[in-house]
This record gives sequence, C-alpha cells and structure tokens, in this order.
Amino acid sequence: MSQVVQGEAATAPRPGRRVLNRMIGLFRMSPVAAVGLLIILFFAVLAVFAPWLMPYDPIQSHPGRVLQPPSAEHWFGTDANGMDVFSRVIYGARYGFGIAIPAVLLALAIGVPVGLIAGYKGGYLDEFLMRIFDGLRVFPSIILALAVVAATGQSLFNVIIVLGLLDAPVFARLVRAEVLAQRNSVFVESSVAAGNPTWRTMFVHLLPNSIQGAMAQTAVRAAWAVRISATLAFLGVGIQVPTPEWGAMIRQGAEVMVSGQWWVAVFPGLALIMLVFGLNLLGDGMQDVMDPRRRQQK
Amino acid sequence: MSLLKVEGLSTHFITRDIDNQRRVARALTDVNFALDTGRVLGIIGETGAGKSLTAQSICGLLKPPARIVGGRVTFDGQELTSMSPDALNRLRGSQIALVVQNPRSSLDPLARVGDQLVRIHQAHGRHSRAASRKRALDMLAAVGIPDPEGRARAWPHELSGGMAQRVLIAMALMNDPRLLIADEPTTGLDVTVQAQILDLLRNLVQRFGMAMMIITHDLGVVAHYCDEVAVMFAGTIVESGPVKRIFSAPGHPYTRALIGATPERRRVGQGGAQIGGEPPDLYNLPSGCPVRLRCAYATEVCASPPPERVMTPGHVVRCHHAGDLDARGSVA
Amino acid sequence: MTGAQPVLSVRGLTKQFAVGGGRLLTAVNKVDLDIRPGETVGMVGESGSGKSTFGRAVLRLTEPTEGSIRFGGQDITHISQRQLRPLRREMQMVFQDPWSALNPRLSIGDLITEPIKLHLNLGRSERADRAEALARRVRLSRDFLRRTPSGLSGGQLQRVCIARAIATSPKLLVLDEPTSSLDLSVRAGILDLLAEIRDETQTAMLFISHDLSTIRAISDRIVVLYLGAVVEEAGAEALFETPAHPYSKALLSAHLPADPEVKLARHQLEGEVPSPINLPSGCSFHTRCPVAIGACKTTVPQPVAVGGTEHFARCIRIQGGATQTARSETA
Ligand SMILES: Nc1ncnc2c1ncn2[C@@H]1O[C@H](COP(=O)(O)OP(=O)(O)O)[C@@H](O)[C@H]1O
Ligand SMILES: Nc1ncnc2c1ncn2[C@@H]1O[C@H](COP(=O)(O)OP(=O)(O)O)[C@@H](O)[C@H]1O
Ligand code: SF4
Ligand SMILES: [Mg+2]
Ligand SMILES: [Mg+2]
Repeated sequence: MSQVVQGEAATAPRPGRRVLNRMIGLFRMSPVAAVGLLIILFFAVLAVFAPWLMPYDPIQSHPGRVLQPPSAEHWFGTDANGMDVFSRVIYGARYGFGIAIPAVLLALAIGVPVGLIAGYKGGYLDEFLMRIFDGLRVFPSIILALAVVAATGQSLFNVIIVLGLLDAPVFARLVRAEVLAQRNSVFVESSVAAGNPTWRTMFVHLLPNSIQGAMAQTAVRAAWAVRISATLAFLGVGIQVPTPEWGAMIRQGAEVMVSGQWWVAVFPGLALIMLVFGLNLLGDGMQDVMDPRRRQQK
Repeated sequence: MSLLKVEGLSTHFITRDIDNQRRVARALTDVNFALDTGRVLGIIGETGAGKSLTAQSICGLLKPPARIVGGRVTFDGQELTSMSPDALNRLRGSQIALVVQNPRSSLDPLARVGDQLVRIHQAHGRHSRAASRKRALDMLAAVGIPDPEGRARAWPHELSGGMAQRVLIAMALMNDPRLLIADEPTTGLDVTVQAQILDLLRNLVQRFGMAMMIITHDLGVVAHYCDEVAVMFAGTIVESGPVKRIFSAPGHPYTRALIGATPERRRVGQGGAQIGGEPPDLYNLPSGCPVRLRCAYATEVCASPPPERVMTPGHVVRCHHAGDLDARGSVA
Repeated sequence: MTGAQPVLSVRGLTKQFAVGGGRLLTAVNKVDLDIRPGETVGMVGESGSGKSTFGRAVLRLTEPTEGSIRFGGQDITHISQRQLRPLRREMQMVFQDPWSALNPRLSIGDLITEPIKLHLNLGRSERADRAEALARRVRLSRDFLRRTPSGLSGGQLQRVCIARAIATSPKLLVLDEPTSSLDLSVRAGILDLLAEIRDETQTAMLFISHDLSTIRAISDRIVVLYLGAVVEEAGAEALFETPAHPYSKALLSAHLPADPEVKLARHQLEGEVPSPINLPSGCSFHTRCPVAIGACKTTVPQPVAVGGTEHFARCIRIQGGATQTARSETA
C-alpha cells in the first residue's frame, strides 16, 4: 500500500491564479455551463461596449456602398441600405439582452406568485389558475405572440410584455410543483406553529425554498425569448428595420439571399444561434448543478 | 490467529474543490483492531465517526473519491487491500457478508425475496437450483420468518421493516459466511423488534460459528450484545476492549463522557462530564489527538499523536493521559 | 403542583386519516390527558403509535376528528386558525428533526427573532437584545446569530429550535422526540437545557419519545401509547418499577439500558405492531399479548386504577383495583 498522504495546508494563490482556478473549478463541475457562460459573457461584452467596438454607426446608411460583400473595410459586408453589417450585428446584442432580460423578469414576477398561491391554497383556486394557464399554452406560443403583437402594435415594449405573459405559466408550473412538495415539510409546519400568518408562511418561508427550479430555468427561458422575438421580427411583426435587431436583419437579408448576397442574413443568423446556444448550455448546466438528481444520473 | 485483523487502516476522500484545489478528508486514521471467531465486536461512535466507512474499507466497497491510503486488512491470513477486485468480490458475499445500513435500499425491488436469496447462493458456488431453493427456505426459517415458503414468494415492498431486515440477514447467511458485518442492523426499528433481531444475530453467531461486527450508535446494544467494543471518534479508534471492562473502567476521556452522559449514569441537570460540541472537520483535523479540542483533560502533549496504551490485556486506550485521568481530575 | 388548573386538558381525542379506498386509519384513539403547570408528561410508544399526531393535534397543526382540547381553560378544539394565532404565543413545539425544522434560507438570528416579531410588540433593538439573550440561554454564542442553519451540527440546530420555541415564554411546550435524531454525546446537554427551562419558567411539557431511558430521565408522569390509545399512565418511577400493562412490561423489557451489568428480564413479544387501518377488536393489543384470554377480543378495556395514585392501565386482566370509568369531562 502507498504511504499515507498528509493533509496539505492550503496555500493562498495569487489573485490572478485564483480567477483562473475558479474557472477551472467551474469547468470541472459543469463544463457545459462554463462554455455557455463564456459565450454569454462574450455577447454581454459586445452589448456593453458596442459604441467602442463598432467601426461604423449601425443605422448610418451609405447609399454608395449598398450590398457590398465582406471586405477589409466592412468585415461582414453591407446591407441593402448600405449599413455596416458588422456594426449592426454588434449592436444587435443589446436588443437580444434588452428583450430577453425584461421578458424573463416579467414572467417571473407573474408566474412565481401565481404558482405559489395555487400550490399552497390548492383546491378550486389552484384548479382555476392552472386552467387559465393551461389555456394559454394550448396555442403554439409563436402564433399567440404573432396575433397579440399584430393587434397591439409593433413596439419593443409590446414584444416584451407579450413574451413575459406567455412565459409566466412555465414558471408558475415549476414553482407550484415545488410548493406542493414542500407544503408539508417540517419547517413550514414549524412556521405555522410559531404563529405566522398564512401570507408570511408562504412568502417568507415557502417561496425562497421553492424557487430554485424556476431560477434554473431562467437561462433556457431567456434563450426562448431571444428566439421568439427574433422570429417575430423575422415575420415582420415586432421590431423593424432599420433597428439593428438580428431577427429584423435576417428578414432583410433573406430577401437578397436568392440573388447571392448571403452575408446580410448569415452573420446576424450566426450571432442569434450562438447566443441562444450559449443560453441553453448555461441553462442545462444550471439545472445540473442545482438538481442533484440530474447530476447523479450523469 | 485472529480471523480479521485490521492494522493501521487509513482511508481518505481526495477531491478538488470549485477553486481546483486538492482537498483531503482524513476519514479514517490508523485504525487497528482484531476479531476472533465466535466473538461479537461492537463499533460505536457518533454519526460521521467513520463506522460505515470502516466496514466499506474492509469489504473493498469504497467508491471514489474514497481511497485506502495505508494499512492492512488481513482476513484468515489473506491480505485484502491488495487483492484483485474479482477475488475480493468472491470473498464478499461468501466468506464475508455485509448487512448494510438501510435494509429497504439493499433489496432488489424487482425480484421476489426467494429469487434474490437463490441468486446470491448461485453466484458463489456451483449448486443446483433445487439445493439453492432449499437453502433459501432454511435460512428464512433460521432468521425466524414465519411461513418461509410464502415469504419467499413475496416482493420486497410487501415486507415490514423488521421483516426486510430479517431477509437481509438471511441473505447474508446464504453462503455460510465466517464474518458477518451488520451496519446499524436495528436503527429505525422498534425496540420490541430490535430485541428480536439482536437475539437472532447473537444466536446465529453461536450456531454457525461466525464472528460478527455490529456497527451501532446505541450503547445499550453494545452493553448487552457485544463481547468487545471499539469506540470511534473522527476516524480513530480511541479505545477498545472487553465490554464489561470498558463500561466499568473507561480509560479514554471521550468514552468516559459518552458513558457518563447516558440517562442511566447521570441525573438530568447534573451537568459535568459532557463532550458535546462539533465533530472535527475531517478536512482540517487538529494535530495530534482528534478529541483534544473537546477534551477536558487536554494538555500541550495532546497536540502530538497519542500512543496506544495497553491498560489490561486487550484493553487499549489511545490517550496521552490514559491511566491518570482520575489523578488529574477534569479541568473544566 | 397537584390541584393546579391544568394548562392542557384533552378529552377523547381521536384523529383518523382517510387513506385510499375509503378506509380510515386511526392514528390517535380516544386519548385523555391533563398537563399541569411545571409538569412534564412523557409520551412513549413505538413508531406509528400516534405520538406525533397527538402532539400536532393538540396544537391544532392537524385537525382532530373527535374529542376536545382545552388550553388554559379555553376550548380551542374548533376555533379558527386566525383566532388561534395569538394563542400560539403560549404553546410552542420543538420537532424531531432539527435539520428540516428550520427554514434553511433564514439566519439563526431571524429564526429566533421571528416569534418575538409575531407576538411581542418590541422595537428593533429590544428584539435584537432578546435574541441575544435567548441564544445565550440555549448556550449558543452570539456569532451564531449571523449564520444560516446549513453549517450547524444537529445539537446546535436543536438549540436554535428550542430558543425559537421559548422566545415568547410559552405555557406549554410540545417536544416531539427532541433528542432522538441527535448523537449520544449531545443528548444530555439538550435534556439538561430543557429541564433548566422547565424549572425556571414552570413551562408545562409534553415530551414525546420512543426512547425509554430519555423519557424516564425527564418525565414526572408517563403515558404509554399503543396503536393510538393510552394503555397505561403512571408516575415515571412507578411505571418503570411496577409496570402493570402487559405491553408496558414487554416494552420495558425490550429496552436495553446502557449498562452491561443490568440483567435483561425478557417478556419478548411476537410479531410486529398490526396496521392501524383495521384496528383489532376489543383490546387492540390482544393479537400480541402473551396473557390474552378470549374476552380480550371482544371487550374494550377501561382504565383500571393500579396501586398508587394516578396509575391506570387498560387491561381486563389486571386485578386489584376497582374498575374505573373514563374520567368524566371537566367543564
Ligand atoms: N464524498 C465524501 N467526501 C468527503 N467526506 C465524506 C464523503 N463521504 C463521506 N464522508 C465522510 O466520511 C465520514 C465517515 O462516514 P461514515 O463512515 O458513513 O460514518 P458513520 O457510519 O460512522 O456515521 C463522515 O464524516 C463523512 O462526512
Ligand atoms: N398525514 C397522514 N396521513 C395518513 N396517515 C398518517 C398521516 N400522519 C400519520 N399517519 C399515520 O398515523 C399513524 C401514527 O403516526 P405518528 O403519529 O407519526 O406516529 P409516531 O409519532 O408515534 O411514530 C401511523 O400509522 C402513520 O402512518
Ligand atoms: S490524548 Fe489528550 S486530548 Fe486526547 S483524549 Fe487524552 S487527554 Fe484528551
Ligand atoms: Mg453509518
Ligand atoms: Mg413521530
């Protein structure tokens, strides 16, 4: 048998190494989440530093340079208005996050309390709330979103509201399931025994312990929001050219695709795919890390 | 020569944390004990003291990141820690049988009780099915299960906790083991059922000429069903020896506190000899004696590893101050 | 102490659960119990005998099916949860498993302060002072107040639960196996703490446990439960010295005292506790009773006075005492 290994004293590494070690550690825990996180960080940097990274104004048209292929001046070429596609793709990251984040927050703000109340109160109230939400999910969400945005007007604000409402049932379901599992746990009983009014038992004790599942889903739902908002723009409802939104750019590019000017659609398309992919990876990793059962299966 | 001899056994959990730093949990440190045929050894200690881990280390059932990093386990003259997994597998289930902590989880939910017994018999020797079936029924009867024929056809979920535990014991007996390790065989069972199971185990040891190791955290079980006892704390055996001797003259401060804290030995509100507080962090064990941060007798020498002191033949205490505790009096 | 108005007075308490197929599971079966100020009543029985359900029903954490509960003279059997809330200041509970009894997301300080916040009208700094005093009372250093439950040992968590339970100086504490899931070495400390609190504050306690050593050490009086019904009730010493009911005898003899010199007297029972879904007829113990006779299958035994004061057993084979009818309702 080998010699007894002595417990080592932890030597404090230099700060730079510490960050690197944390990254390596995270990577060991969930490689998938780490890659997802890197991709998202990349786009976040694009979104935040867009003004400094863009070589041109994204909505400045150059009538003399319409539909130019990628070149040294215009890395991703120019579109039908003579706008620089590279700059527009970078700026588009702002719309990706600018829609996904508020939409998911809104969905949480509606879905979480509804799931909590339905799960804790049970009975008819639960039936009623869940029926409404099931009703919402009967239609494919894209068709519903299309109809609502078409009816209420094509503004960024409307798109966010519609996506948030459509996504609320997802979070409500997750929270409700968790509340049902926790409702009879000892700490909930202990909070009743201590004399907590029902609302306090629900919001102070039950809620913080029932929300992990919903939280783990946020990245995946953000990916969904990015996809749907791009689809809406692509279909011509939602945000319109010349706004540098990826879906809108793809729509614009699709028209000239047949005539060989592929770059107008392909670059924003790639950006969209990458961001959605990154969010999904992070979401997957988050679920693994937060749900020990899933972790063990792997 | 002893049937089982454990010498200097050390088992560690070696992992890396979120900052990619190597972390070592010293879960077992220099464990020594021996067990003879016909004897019952009790291993007692708090939750997390390393009792189950000792059993798993002996049986070669460690799962990574746990690893034996030192010591020897000799069973009937064979060294187990260096044995190939296959050979060890053959030994376990035939010569060495382990009854694990949670009876429900160790029965296959998809197989009838009788078939599981037959399966384990066939896995460890050439027997006809009929012989195996006969043996299964005999063993079910031996563990006091009424209507063995009927019970053999039962599914695990149809068994009560006590019945499941009996079936597990029957399973352990299928191949005539020479060493039976029972990990908390009665934890979670009612006292009336506990008495039945322990009487049964005790009788089996005599009837089949086995040696038995009972892991427990109940001093009552040790007092009435074991010949010898090893007291474990933070992965170390702090004291071992004959049961009567240890209850009447405990030599280690921890054992003293443990026995002194039982309702039998002290009145509620009496205060005094208590050894409450945190179990030490296995990733960061104190130097020297693991008990020292909770020990009322500790002095500077305790920061160096205490020697094993033989008090009377077979009674070993691992403490710098063994033997002069009374003279010193408790500092606290 | 005797003669004082009971803090808690339970009559004929029954709790049945509906289980699948329209069947009823009788968890608690017509239990009578009084607890006086400063008194500790131990309730002992094997798992599934209905101890926890009784404790929860007494505090209306589960709704009783039948019977009455009077708390401090007030009938609380049917009042609403809203009316009950202010009363919870006076009756608190400590649960078996301290790991799951505390909200893992709150700090120890918040957990201890919560009952004070709910029931006492105190300012922020007074509350903080009180929380510190409570932590000191249960012998936790004030550093703990800022920590969360996750890093604490079982014994420390149970101290937090106790601090929480005594925060509003209740008149009644229900303790459901407060030491059963703790390690041996910390049990004694918790028992000491509870005994001190009782002696200082005259809090009445219902101490539930399946561990005979523990229950003997802390109780003034003990009731033995079998399949939800009280089979024997006696002073702690009387029960251990002269148990009368055959079940109590078997239970006591199966107990393993932590002392190898004590000889075990064996009244071993056959088999296991039958299902509470179809309670046996007559005396529910007759299926396992070593001294059962034919009549046990048909007669429901009434409490019989045995020897000294306040010692009753329900068994038709016990002689030597006038058959006593169930205590009448106290108005
Ligand atoms: N994967 C692991 N990493 C680090 N320590 C572990 C791991 N698994 C178990 N342990 C530690 O090993 C010790 C021994 O556990 P065990 O033998 O099960 O204790 P016992 O049976 O005495 O209650 C415990 O303190 C436990 O915390
Ligand atoms: N919510 C419930 N639904 C159905 N049966 C229950 C419920 N709670 C307890 N029981 C049953 O009631 C009986 C008594 O349980 P319990 O009061 O927990 O016993 P103890 O605390 O003495 O172990 C058991 O048979 C148990 O299965
Ligand atoms: S060696 Fe020292 S610290 Fe350890 S038990 Fe003995 S006296 Fe206590
Ligand atoms: Mg164990
Ligand atoms: Mg219970």
